[in-house]
Amino acid sequence: MTDKERYQKVFDTVSSFGMEHLEADKFMKKTKKHAYMGTAAAIAAALLIAGSTGVAYAANVGGIQRTIQLWIHGDQTDAELVIGENGEYNVTWQKEDGSAQTIGGGGIAIEADGTERPLTDEEIMEELYMPEVEYKDDGTVWVYYYDQEIEITDMFEDGICRVKLINGNDTLYMTVKYDNGYSVSRDKYPDPDSFN
Amino acid sequence: MRQSLEELIELHQKSLYAAAFSVCRNIDDANDAVQDTFIQYYTSKKQFHDGEHLKAWLLRVAINRAKDISGSFWKRNRISIEDCTNELPFENREEHALFEEVMKLPEKYREVIHLYYYEDLSAKEIARILRITEGSVKMRLSRGRSFLRDVLKEEES
Repeated sequence: MTDKERYQKVFDTVSSFGMEHLEADKFMKKTKKHAYMGTAAAIAAALLIAGSTGVAYAANVGGIQRTIQLWIHGDQTDAELVIGENGEYNVTWQKEDGSAQTIGGGGIAIEADGTERPLTDEEIMEELYMPEVEYKDDGTVWVYYYDQEIEITDMFEDGICRVKLINGNDTLYMTVKYDNGYSVSRDKYPDPDSFN
Repeated sequence: MRQSLEELIELHQKSLYAAAFSVCRNIDDANDAVQDTFIQYYTSKKQFHDGEHLKAWLLRVAINRAKDISGSFWKRNRISIEDCTNELPFENREEHALFEEVMKLPEKYREVIHLYYYEDLSAKEIARILRITEGSVKMRLSRGRSFLRDVLKEEES
């Protein structure tokens, strides 16, 4: 018997001992139920997570943890949001390849009178739902906003692209500088010189 | 191409479980990783070139999920690897020893050794699945084998 055959025999024993046999029918029903519950969670998130459902104190990370739904590249995805005591937050979701992706942000907001305060839940959710820009390996450029995927590759003039984004009653004006950042405003297209 | 979940479970569940177990060394966590992998497939719209491409993707997802689960705070670890080893119904001492030595390997060697010996994949194929260079695969394979020299019988070629 070769080493590979011996190794395979050992791990066949491991599988036959501990593997729970999945049945496709039952499994799909479970998955659909999971997806339905995810939609309910999205509604909770849209209501700025005011309710107590799904909210728990995460002692290990020292903050409030809840499940939200994020728009990642046009697809809605379950994510774990943890908000720290000082308004900083981390959001973790599972990427298509199965690995975990975490982004963080937030912190302190400075009021007009100079006083500092932690970001509110509303402000954090607003930040998480901001549009994003992706430069793909094939040279195309895409803007993602909620479920919208907009290719802007050919919309640049002198390295600047302006996109109006509409989601329900919400309108955002977005200015993208090619490979050099972007800015959004609810009133007008941001001046390219005003950022980066 | 896409395949039905039923076919995929039939074809690949054992492989995915073995790969996930080799990473997280825990029965419950390995089962969770496999279930998450099939959920990922079922909810994804991804198209695949062929069966090999699909299997490679499933293995990558299962391994990544197993790493995430075993590294998470919430990992269950209901049964320790020592208890599990004692319960596994190996036929002889040699099989028991081989399993124990593989489980003692650092994770980065363990996953490469598993894909090479169990899945019979080439260094190039392993590199694509783990998203590391072929050189790294060969180096990890060589070091992994050196740790296992007492339980592997063939000379390294």
